[in-house]
Amino acid sequence: MRDREIDAILNQAAQAPNDVDPALLASIANSVGRSLTPVRPLPPAWALAGGLVLISVAVALAGAGRLGFYGIQKMSVLDRALIFPALGLLLWLAATASVAEMIPGRRRVSPPILLGAGSLALVTVFAILFRDYHTHHFVHEGIACLSAGLLHAIPAALASWVLLRRGFAVNPVAAGLVAGTLAGLAGVTMLELHCPNFEAPHVMLWHTAVVPMSGAAGALLGWLSNRRA
Amino acid sequence: MHSESDLEILMARYQQGDYAAATALIHQLGPQLHRFFLVQSAGRGDADDLLQETWLRIHEVRHTYRTGEPVLPWFYAIARHIRVDHYRRALRTTGREQPLEEVPEPAAAPPTASGGITDLQDLLAPLPASQREVIEMLKIAGMSLEEVARATSSTVGSVKQKAHRAYAKLRERLSGVALNEGRAGGFG
Repeated sequence: MRDREIDAILNQAAQAPNDVDPALLASIANSVGRSLTPVRPLPPAWALAGGLVLISVAVALAGAGRLGFYGIQKMSVLDRALIFPALGLLLWLAATASVAEMIPGRRRVSPPILLGAGSLALVTVFAILFRDYHTHHFVHEGIACLSAGLLHAIPAALASWVLLRRGFAVNPVAAGLVAGTLAGLAGVTMLELHCPNFEAPHVMLWHTAVVPMSGAAGALLGWLSNRRA
Repeated sequence: MHSESDLEILMARYQQGDYAAATALIHQLGPQLHRFFLVQSAGRGDADDLLQETWLRIHEVRHTYRTGEPVLPWFYAIARHIRVDHYRRALRTTGREQPLEEVPEPAAAPPTASGGITDLQDLLAPLPASQREVIEMLKIAGMSLEEVARATSSTVGSVKQKAHRAYAKLRERLSGVALNEGRAGGFG
């Protein structure tokens, strides 16, 4: 049997009328009509994504401003030229993905791929730039950076939620994962501005870990909200 | 099937609070969405409930549609969400219930031999849910691969793969039916 024949059978089956009770359609129209008011459509996706990037940058700058800009001051020009554009690009990608998750039927990037590729890109950039493989106070300083990064991800996530609150996530777990990834990137940006510890294992593990941990927290929150709904 | 631009115009008017546009959308897309739920193995009663629930949700989130974007993926993404949510809740409820006796899984009804296959539900019944929804959207709702990918939050490649696998299963099934019909004809 050829595809064309299957198409013909499907078309024939599709043409069979599907009678929906007219009373049902009328009842739906009545329900809709009772609360029908003009609504303001969401702003363009690029404006929402731009807003999310601004929020992330503002949180990172505010955090680093409070803790001190020691990291960026210690960086070479090459370090700055590679790390911050890479973070900017990842922030933009995560922001556009986050907006796409809040608008039904929009083209989207797979959230786990975004998280994995984003984390891998960060590790690669850090591996290229940082060559000091000593590990002084590896766990102690690492946990301090991880905590600071995650603490800054929280306000970034909350402010992003306020911006996107009018959206509708058809997959709350994916939306949470992407929002968490974006917030985690805000946390990493803050760490790069602030943290003067340039030991490669420290930066590659503890700084980057903020992104998957924040993404996982976002996915968990999405899952919980979906279960409670 | 309806012209995408007509639906876009109706959707824009619906957002502006036009009751006639809302009613027209409900009458144009209601039967299509109802069939989508029926094909997904919902009974008629379930399909009615799902259609109502879907429209209420569409009404709540109608501001999330942006003029210029494809309309059908927006509607189907919401319908799909409602269906998944409905089955998740149903599973949770039935998970707590203890059946009195084992009920055998109903077998997919064989396609009718005499009049050919006219019942879409029976035809698509043996396919997994993910393939069924792809075939329904592509062949019945007339959506493009890109639109189906948007509605199902997947990629065009994944949609193509599901459609290909669904066609392979349908070919196998329909060839079997044709063979049986041939045998039946031979003996008759």
